Amino acid sequence: MKSIQIKVTVNGEPMSLDVRPYETLLETLRERLHLTGAKEACSLGACGSCTVILDKIPVRACLVLTAEIDGMTVTTIEGLAANGRLHPLQEAFMEKGAVQCGFCTSGMILTAKSLLDREKKPSKDQIVRTISSNVCRCTGYKKIIEAVMTAAERMERT
Amino acid sequence: MILPPFAYARPKTVKKAIALYQGAKGQAVYLAGGTDLVPRIKQRLMCPALSIDLKGIQALKRVTLTRDWLKIGANVTLYDLKNHPVVAKYYPALYESLNTTSCETLQMRGTLGGNVLQDARCLFFNKSDTWRKARGFCLKMGGESCNAVKGARVCFANYASDNAPVLLTLGAEVLLSGIAGDRQIPLLEIFTGKSDSPFTLHNGEILTQILIPAQITKGGYLKLRVRDSIDYPLVGVALSTADGRGRLAVGGIGGKPLLFEFRGDDRGWVERIADEALNQSKPVRNTVLSAAYRKRMVKTLTKRIIKLVMGEDRR
Ligand SMILES: Cc1cc2nc3c(=O)[nH]c(=O)nc-3n(C[C@H](O)[C@H](O)[C@H](O)COP(=O)(O)OP(=O)(O)OC[C@H]3O[C@@H](n4cnc5c(N)ncnc54)[C@H](O)[C@@H]3O)c2cc1C
Repeated sequence: MKSIQIKVTVNGEPMSLDVRPYETLLETLRERLHLTGAKEACSLGACGSCTVILDKIPVRACLVLTAEIDGMTVTTIEGLAANGRLHPLQEAFMEKGAVQCGFCTSGMILTAKSLLDREKKPSKDQIVRTISSNVCRCTGYKKIIEAVMTAAERMERT
Repeated sequence: MILPPFAYARPKTVKKAIALYQGAKGQAVYLAGGTDLVPRIKQRLMCPALSIDLKGIQALKRVTLTRDWLKIGANVTLYDLKNHPVVAKYYPALYESLNTTSCETLQMRGTLGGNVLQDARCLFFNKSDTWRKARGFCLKMGGESCNAVKGARVCFANYASDNAPVLLTLGAEVLLSGIAGDRQIPLLEIFTGKSDSPFTLHNGEILTQILIPAQITKGGYLKLRVRDSIDYPLVGVALSTADGRGRLAVGGIGGKPLLFEFRGDDRGWVERIADEALNQSKPVRNTVLSAAYRKRMVKTLTKRIIKLVMGEDRR
């Protein structure tokens, strides 16, 4: 099958890729670019562990074809730290103990980031609604919600 | 889970998309947000040779309000539609169904066209290839009999769109484009009622617009599911009304939504419509909740939504 050439920007770095037309974004990230932060769990769009940000919108990378994203921008968990400092969400997740096994964490943080990027002061209800797109089997969500609230407060102050 | 090989095309016009479809000799599939389609291809429920991405067609992304209709391009995402000011003001039932569809992330990717044209689902069908092979293919896979109801010769998969029942209560119509030209038909007419092939669309026809009569309505939507997020409806009950008249629809059971009309002035209509909905709903054991429970919830949710929406207006 003929491959497809696309141009994308991944974590700030522009690149050209030659991909299979039926290759998912998750496969491209993990197997071609070795960005293994996005996790494959259900593979059917239900769990959210493969969430990455595509032009400001969180997507299930397991349901997106890489061929579809020519000209677009992808942010993965590997792209959040800036100048050697973790993103406030990453710091708050560690501080609040919002990580147990860690498998859902990158998707959870990116889903939360997309909310904080469009909503400076989200209410607790909004946070719950947004992160309920992602499944966590360990924490019971309480600490995750606290971490997102803490990060939102800190980001608002700076 | 790895996808089987297929080619990819991204036409810029509806005409070009239809031509690509015709060129693929019945082996092509249209792709919108992919949130219904991609899982089905992964599970080998279909193996297309070509996926035709409709997201490059700008004309399918518009929402316009005219004097008579709210015209919604098929590729408008559920999330964008939910946040459109006209929806909250004119169609509260649609706001609620959009808001409870899957979860926020999937609403941002999933489109209204794809939502209406999603395939019917069954606990014994939406499974991996290996699982289904071990069990023996069911009717929906071209097998001899149903895997949910032993020996049955009809398919019982559930059409699980949250938004189609609401659109039916609002009197929505759809605009379709095919090689033979365009046609506008009532939404109800796209359903065959058969769960193994739910839609009457001709091969290669594209849904271009969903049209809702432009009028202010009262309404609501109630959805039975196990978790309050991500899950499909196991029963969904929609109600829209204007000037005392209205429609009620029941989704999530069988191949198409059930639709009932009422005039809120005949005595005992609430009980009558709740009984009709109950009697016509024939769930079987093909979801995570029992058929008996889902059936009873049809009546419960019907009475509840009438009370919520119509309050003291009801008799
Ligand atoms: C975990 C999970 C939970 C979900 N929960 C729900 C839920 O609670 N309620 C619900 O209603 N849905 C649910 N869905 C299904 C799906 O996300 C939505 O229905 C969504 O709106 C589908 O839109 P899409 O653009 O992704 O469709 P696609 O997957 O792109 O397409 C769906 C079907 O429609 C056809 N199609 C799409 N657009 C057109 C067009 N313009 N013309 C002709 N054919 C077209 C495609 O060929 C395909 O067969 C869920 C999905 C997942 C993965």
